[in-house]
Amino acid sequence: MLESILKLILQILITLLIAPFFTGVIRKMKARVQHRVGASVIQPYYDLIKLFKKDLVVSETASWIYNLAPYVYFISSVAAISCLPIVHGLTGFSFYTDLLIIVYLFVAGRIFMALAGLDTGSTFGGMGSSRELLVSALVEPALFIVIITVSARAEVASTNVPAIYEFLAGNTETAFTPMNILLSASMLMILIAESSRIPVDDPSTHLELTMVHEAMVLEYSGRHLAFIEMGSYIKQLVFMTFMANILIPVGFNVGNTFLEFGIYLVKVLVITILVGVVELNTVKFRLYSIPNFAVIALVISILGFLTGFILK
Amino acid sequence: MYHNALNLMSILILISAFALIANKRQNSYIPTFRFQSVLLAGISLFVSVREMIASKKFDEVIIMFVLIVVFKVIIIPRYMKSTVEKVEYKVEKDFFINIPLSMIICCCLVVLSWYVIYHIEGITDNHAKNYLIYSFSVVLLGLFFMISRKKAIGQIIGFLVIENGMFLAAMLTTEGMPMIVELGLFFDLLTAFIIMGIFVFKINNTFESIDINKLKNLKG
Amino acid sequence: MNLAFIAIPALAAGLVWTNKNKSIIHLTNLAGAAAMLLTSILALVEVNRSKIITTGGFFKDIFYIDSLSVYILFITTLAFFLVSLYSISYFGQELKRNVITLKKLKLYYSLSNAFVLSMILALTTQNMGVMWIAIEATTLASAFLVGFYNNKRAIEAAWKYLIICSVGIAFALLGIILLYYSSTVELGGNKVIGMSWNYLLQHASALDPSILKIAFIFILIGFGTKVGFSPMHTWLPDAHSQAPSPVSSLLSGVLLNTAMYGIIRVMTIVNKSLDSSRYTGNLLLLLGILSVGTAAIFVLVQQDYKRILAYSSIEHMGIIAIGLGICTPVGIFAAIYHIFNHAVTKSMLFLATGNVYLKYHTKKISSIKGLIKIMPVTGVVFAMGAFAITGMPPFGIFMSKFNTVAAAIFSKNYVIAVLLLIFLAAVFGGFTKQLGRMFLGSNNNPEINKGELDKIGPAVLIILFCITIFMGVYIPGPIKTLMDNATGIILGMGGK
Repeated sequence: MLESILKLILQILITLLIAPFFTGVIRKMKARVQHRVGASVIQPYYDLIKLFKKDLVVSETASWIYNLAPYVYFISSVAAISCLPIVHGLTGFSFYTDLLIIVYLFVAGRIFMALAGLDTGSTFGGMGSSRELLVSALVEPALFIVIITVSARAEVASTNVPAIYEFLAGNTETAFTPMNILLSASMLMILIAESSRIPVDDPSTHLELTMVHEAMVLEYSGRHLAFIEMGSYIKQLVFMTFMANILIPVGFNVGNTFLEFGIYLVKVLVITILVGVVELNTVKFRLYSIPNFAVIALVISILGFLTGFILK
Repeated sequence: MYHNALNLMSILILISAFALIANKRQNSYIPTFRFQSVLLAGISLFVSVREMIASKKFDEVIIMFVLIVVFKVIIIPRYMKSTVEKVEYKVEKDFFINIPLSMIICCCLVVLSWYVIYHIEGITDNHAKNYLIYSFSVVLLGLFFMISRKKAIGQIIGFLVIENGMFLAAMLTTEGMPMIVELGLFFDLLTAFIIMGIFVFKINNTFESIDINKLKNLKG
Repeated sequence: MNLAFIAIPALAAGLVWTNKNKSIIHLTNLAGAAAMLLTSILALVEVNRSKIITTGGFFKDIFYIDSLSVYILFITTLAFFLVSLYSISYFGQELKRNVITLKKLKLYYSLSNAFVLSMILALTTQNMGVMWIAIEATTLASAFLVGFYNNKRAIEAAWKYLIICSVGIAFALLGIILLYYSSTVELGGNKVIGMSWNYLLQHASALDPSILKIAFIFILIGFGTKVGFSPMHTWLPDAHSQAPSPVSSLLSGVLLNTAMYGIIRVMTIVNKSLDSSRYTGNLLLLLGILSVGTAAIFVLVQQDYKRILAYSSIEHMGIIAIGLGICTPVGIFAAIYHIFNHAVTKSMLFLATGNVYLKYHTKKISSIKGLIKIMPVTGVVFAMGAFAITGMPPFGIFMSKFNTVAAAIFSKNYVIAVLLLIFLAAVFGGFTKQLGRMFLGSNNNPEINKGELDKIGPAVLIILFCITIFMGVYIPGPIKTLMDNATGIILGMGGK
């Protein structure tokens, strides 16, 4: 029991520490391609520290939801990452962890953020909320099919994370099956949509017509904003971890926890770079093109399901 | 391992057919088709090299590899590109059915082809069954692509995709048909492609557009 | 002999380009057609004596002729010869009116030779792959012939024809791949002979029935598109009505039979492997009755006399399919007999429409009146042909239709028989209602002069008319033997 709690705390601390780094990497990549020097890869950490030091500006019309939402969002993200051990050696703590719980935790956080966006009564907030919910509703089917596919293997037959990890630890070569490759492609698209990256959303814009996530959190400042940012970094890391550990379980079980952690970092970095490459090579979609994007992700995940279970 | 790789490549061909259907503009059909042909060439090279290593003598499928590379990867896409440039200047939407719906229909087509082929008891080799499902799906997707596009170019590309599906089926299930048949097939389809190309020009000259919606004089 | 079959049309196709003189071009083509007819008659005699013709060497596993193939080959070359003769008249007129140039005439002749070449190839091969290639080549060779006039309608018809047939036939290739797969798995991977229908027929019982069933469906859809079975028939009325009349006559009288031949070959293999004709029979009966029904409905509403004839072709292919689907000796014999009758009668009708079109320059029924008075020979032949094609005695079509219905009743397919009779009555009604207005009455268009345009056109019509009547009353001995042998081959007994 004590060991489990220690592992849990360790997991949370590590993820809190590494999560902002990957966003920094993407920003750096982008800057380099645009022939800028760009901010350092640890700039997101400075930003967070700066935000914590700043004062809060809260609208007079805002209700308690507005004040509560950033914390709910942050805590739900942290709870989600604590369901998904980043290395095989940290598996012990997860007695109630289930892949579906992760999805519901995200929904809880998102609902609060959307309400908070509406709460202040500003035009952008409401627009951002509706768009954010649209995007997440569109990619949800694909996400569910990916989750069902990885957990429906006859040897696993459960959405329980330790059960899936147990199976993967003995079958790391499944990374190269067509099913996993298709699911990874679908997951990458879901990751892009869920973490508000180009081409679905542009995280660096404050242009009224195009922003989605940014519009929703436009009213926030100071500590609140810091929690929201942190929550977003962790959410992004959850999807990356899902991909790195469950869909591409290369070197997942080498025996040495430190080595496993190193391999994990490399895999997440590779995924980050992939996201960056996609971001550099595409332009942001119009809002009405996002359904196409989501359906393509859905179709790829369905094909993954078909190749994994039906075409055998 | 061998089958795993072939499996993956044939799935990629299927994905490229999906990508084609997700494409909105005529200009992007051609690179997608070329990508598919590269994959097909890769499969033919793979099959023939393995055969040659196993039997230590010349395998005819390598001729198909050369033909596919020369015609489908290089010449046909170029010819298509010049045709598109000569015929059409405007960039327009080119589909009847919107993309999400057509993607879902295509998924249903894949399931359909699975349903049809899975229930043939006679095919005992599971790999052959899989390959047949993929290639049959590619053929159906090509057909759907032809139906859902308005421009004559889209129909030609659909035809080429159907053709790729057939070569895929022939190559993977029977490890290549007799050479005389394969060659005949190849040049037959090449001629078909050239004739279609000529007709695109004719349609463009007579109807002042390659929108086949305008071909509505004959009915009943 | 195998070389002669390929060489003559190829040579003729090339030679027409070498000359500038109009009449020499006509004669070159006619000589080629006559030589082809002669070769096929020689082959016919040879087959009647020794059942099959094969060859050694490289083409051993590819070239093969038996009674069924030589029968359709004979029809093909006969029709092509008569059409060549007629083309002299038809394109002579078109040249005179400056509708076409000499270059186009050469193009027509070389493409029609290529068209016939590909059909001959399909009929003389035993390799299913080569047969597929040849049938696809027929589409390619005739696409330009369909779009010959290069106007909006012709190009539209040609595009439809090209796309629908190429795509449809792709399914046949999938079926053939499945057959070949079955043969490599069950019979070992002997490369070229593994695709031979003859070889597959001999080893039919070793093939897997479940694969054959699916393969048959694919091939039925694929070649059925080319035959013009009902849901896939949409190209047929357009192509037949927009092509120049000699080409329509070749398309309808010859091409459809060639595609049907492909289906027949696969059908015999599947029947032998399943040891019953139930499976293939039901499919063919379904498609057949659907085609006859579709034709019966569409004939009633047409404005264009060539389109009516085109729908009638769909109907007759349906009748042949029903005869094959019944699969009793009477049914098969009726189908075989019907192939000949339909080819001759329909060619005659399409050639007659050629004369009418040259005179009136329109395909609309409503603008033609008093045809019998203006063009006595063409008018009478057209009218009698229309009666013949709808199944009036004493013409050949009546005999074969009667046999088909009788076969359906004897084999207890009462529903099919009743439906067939109803649809045939509807087609007859449609023909009389639609075409009847053309023949009688008096001409009220002052621009139309009395008299035939020339002598060759009507002469060809009279020859065809004589054949039609003759085949209705008496089938010559050699052809009768051939038809009996072909029936045996399809039933999977005699023949060999």
